[in-house]
Amino acid sequence: MNQDINIKKLQKNCWRQSKVPGEFMLQMRVPGSMISAKHLERVQYICQTWGNGNFHVGMRHTLNVPGVKYEDIPAVNDYISEYLEEVECDMCDVDMETDAGYPTIGSRNIMACIGNTHCILANYNTQDLARKLEPLVFPSHYHIKMSLSGCPNDCGKGHFNDFGIVGISKMVYHYERCIGCGMCIDACKKHATGVLSFTEDKKIAKDTCCCVGCGECATVCPAGAWTRRPTKFFRVLVGGRTGKQSPRMGKTFLNWVTEDVLLTVIGNWQKFSAWVLDHQPVYMHGGHLIDMAGYDKFKEMMLEGVTLNPEATVAQRILWTETEYRAQINVIPLSEHPKAGPRK
Amino acid sequence: MGYRLSYPEADELFRKLSAEYEIYAPKLFEKQGRYSDTDIVRYDRVKRAEEIVWDRKSDFSAKEVVSPITQTIFYFTEDEYRESRTGAKKLLIFLRPCDINAFEHQDKIYLENGGIADVFYQRVRDRVRFVLMECTEGWDTCFCVSMGANRTNDYSAAVRRDENGLLFSVPDPELAPHFAGNREEPFEVRFIEQNDFTVEIPEIPNKDVLNKLKKHPMWQEFNDRCISCGSCTVACSTCTCFTTVDKIYDENAHAGERRRVAASCQVAGFDCMAGGHEFRTTAADRMRYRVLHKVHDYKARFGDFHMCVGCGRCSARCPKFISFPATINKMAAAIKEIVAAERQ
Amino acid sequence: MNNPVMPKPHQILDIIRETNLEYTFRIETDMRPQHGQFFQLSLPRVGECPISVSNFGEGWMEFTIRSVGKVTDQLFSLQPGDELFVRGPYGKGWPIDELRGKHLVVVAGGTGVSPVRSLLNKCAAEPDFVKSVDLICGYKNEDCILFRPDLRRWAEKFRAIYTLDSQVCEGWETGLVTTHISKVPFDSFGDDYAVIIVGPPVMMHFCGLECKKLGIPDEKIWVSFERKMSCAVGKCGHCRIDETYVCLEGPVFNYTVAKDLLD
Repeated sequence: MNQDINIKKLQKNCWRQSKVPGEFMLQMRVPGSMISAKHLERVQYICQTWGNGNFHVGMRHTLNVPGVKYEDIPAVNDYISEYLEEVECDMCDVDMETDAGYPTIGSRNIMACIGNTHCILANYNTQDLARKLEPLVFPSHYHIKMSLSGCPNDCGKGHFNDFGIVGISKMVYHYERCIGCGMCIDACKKHATGVLSFTEDKKIAKDTCCCVGCGECATVCPAGAWTRRPTKFFRVLVGGRTGKQSPRMGKTFLNWVTEDVLLTVIGNWQKFSAWVLDHQPVYMHGGHLIDMAGYDKFKEMMLEGVTLNPEATVAQRILWTETEYRAQINVIPLSEHPKAGPRK
Repeated sequence: MGYRLSYPEADELFRKLSAEYEIYAPKLFEKQGRYSDTDIVRYDRVKRAEEIVWDRKSDFSAKEVVSPITQTIFYFTEDEYRESRTGAKKLLIFLRPCDINAFEHQDKIYLENGGIADVFYQRVRDRVRFVLMECTEGWDTCFCVSMGANRTNDYSAAVRRDENGLLFSVPDPELAPHFAGNREEPFEVRFIEQNDFTVEIPEIPNKDVLNKLKKHPMWQEFNDRCISCGSCTVACSTCTCFTTVDKIYDENAHAGERRRVAASCQVAGFDCMAGGHEFRTTAADRMRYRVLHKVHDYKARFGDFHMCVGCGRCSARCPKFISFPATINKMAAAIKEIVAAERQ
Repeated sequence: MNNPVMPKPHQILDIIRETNLEYTFRIETDMRPQHGQFFQLSLPRVGECPISVSNFGEGWMEFTIRSVGKVTDQLFSLQPGDELFVRGPYGKGWPIDELRGKHLVVVAGGTGVSPVRSLLNKCAAEPDFVKSVDLICGYKNEDCILFRPDLRRWAEKFRAIYTLDSQVCEGWETGLVTTHISKVPFDSFGDDYAVIIVGPPVMMHFCGLECKKLGIPDEKIWVSFERKMSCAVGKCGHCRIDETYVCLEGPVFNYTVAKDLLD
């Protein structure tokens, strides 16, 4: 082993160091976790031509090619140009160079459940939204973990991402179409928050306050008495993370926001990160950035220029509950407190 | 001889007719389907000819126009019950041959059964005029031909949709003058003669076989498959069952209204008496009850025809893909088995 | 247009508390139903319920109503002088002409005594109507005993066996009504008798089997069914069994028909 390799440079080219000297793994982004199946042939070709013949399904829904020799990296970068062009530029409208591999680390892929193109429970098209979000967050050296789930089941584990985006529906009750069978009451009780009950005249009463917007009621109604408002709404969870230090579940930042609001908010992440890190990108979880700035500052910067839709609600405060691997992990000298904003 | 109307001409006709008629037709309700971003087609008032949905089967049947899911029949006070009011205009309903034949069964129950005519049904039904929507293709869930419900003569007008607009024939002299002056064009209404699916309705020779069939293990499969939601009966063009429910306006229950609300024999509690005793306690029991009504019990009572008209809405709406014709075929096999065992 | 489901107000003449749960409402009316027919009563906060006529006479009629849950509070706060909304009568009652002049056996359980009460009163009042009456009347326990004054009167006129399902109580036999049917002297009736069975579905089922065991022909047995009903005029569909509507062809059925009516 006598190679002189700039690991950091390769990392920023989306090549991850292997424990096998001289080998690297490529992580190919799949924004929204769905692409044309034709790309699988390409991935297979890369794995079998330059990789070790295996393929790994990335933990964030990337297509991973392990075991690529250092000297083959330029060839692979050249070969994936078409993939980048089609998936990033054409499909997601991302503005980036594609002739030398990924322009930055791509492993923090925008993950999404299958969404309403297939799932009977999903409330929106997760792929469409992922493709709109991709150009807002990629390529950038301020990395963000985002996961999109079609419904509050949160199969995408948005609760453990910097941003978890959960599709919810505002339900409309067509009183005159209700046959009073109680299917919705049972479904809500069994699968959601149990906000439905019978009225004395065998129609349905709803505690709108605690409705999570899952749409189970519409899914089970035999008469079409429950329908979803055509406008798509989202719950935005923030600050969730895994990790060695203080994993925690994300908490609701915004509830019942429309897509326009969501896109504007996510668009503010770059500015917020840059301010927190004083324009010195560090590869760390978004939740730590929120901790450094404090929730109030985060809220202020993320909502800058945002006109909230009338249904939207915003968390006043967030009470985090970390897993404390060490007791009182947060009790540290003032000098060691994380700092946000300008350093000088 | 028929009349050729372009869509603008048809709109003008609808406008003129509206002085005397309310026009009902299958109409699209966007994004109001069971699942997110799916549509639903159901009967509603239409003002323009283009609103009529031709290219898919209405999810719910035309029966809702005459016997709505929720209908106030009386208003009551301490002293009296007063009949609810009804409209005065005639109702022009656009519907297919199976749907017109279904009304024959609705009429049997509401107007003839027990020698008692139901006032609330009759007061609407008397004002109904049918406009037959020519149906020559059907859909994959249709089996009207097997049920002999693919043809009808019972209509005031018939209409075909083609690339040039609408072509009407108007046998009803009451309606004909409204069409006079439009371009004449020969039009002979055609009927579908072959569905994708054919069923043979088995004969049940006697009560003994009937009661053995009720206990046959074939029904057990529905305990696993059917969720007793009642989607089939709400969509069914021939189901008539309802429950009366009182809506009370004041604390002392002195004033309120009495309603009829569509009921489903598939929903648990349909046969539950005041004391709590229930006869059909499983999904299998309830499925058997419905299926036998449609293809045996009704005919045993009224003679000429089976109740089912093969519109296939039950299969189309079933969230668990239980096919009604497939179930009939299973029943036919069970009957054969029972009869063969008896002969031995 | 005459509306067959229009309820009409009737003044409450009297309210008799039968048990903790059951009250008999006597209303003023000129209607003369058949024994065993039923009416639709509009009960505040409950809605319309089919209730069989438990007794009637010149200018009055009685209904015995069981309280189910809280919802009937409103009903049981009614007073004489208040009005009850009623429509009917509906269905086919006991076949008076079939029963006339025969030895009559009545097996009744619990609230099932209601639909046969007026007929028993007729038998008691008109000694020539039937040759004899054997009455087997059963309740779950002492707290459930309905129509005590009638029971005393009937005991004087009929061969009566009164029984409680499992409770030992003075003046009462113990055991289900089924166990007492064999005590009826069917041998002495020749061919000239009729059996009425009325009560909860399970009780009627086992009484039917017991009668079969005793060799009683189906056509001599009459039963009365209770089913959920919303309309009572063959529209709502709740009471249908096969091609039979209990509200129209019943509630009283000959056993030849009833035995095949599997819900």
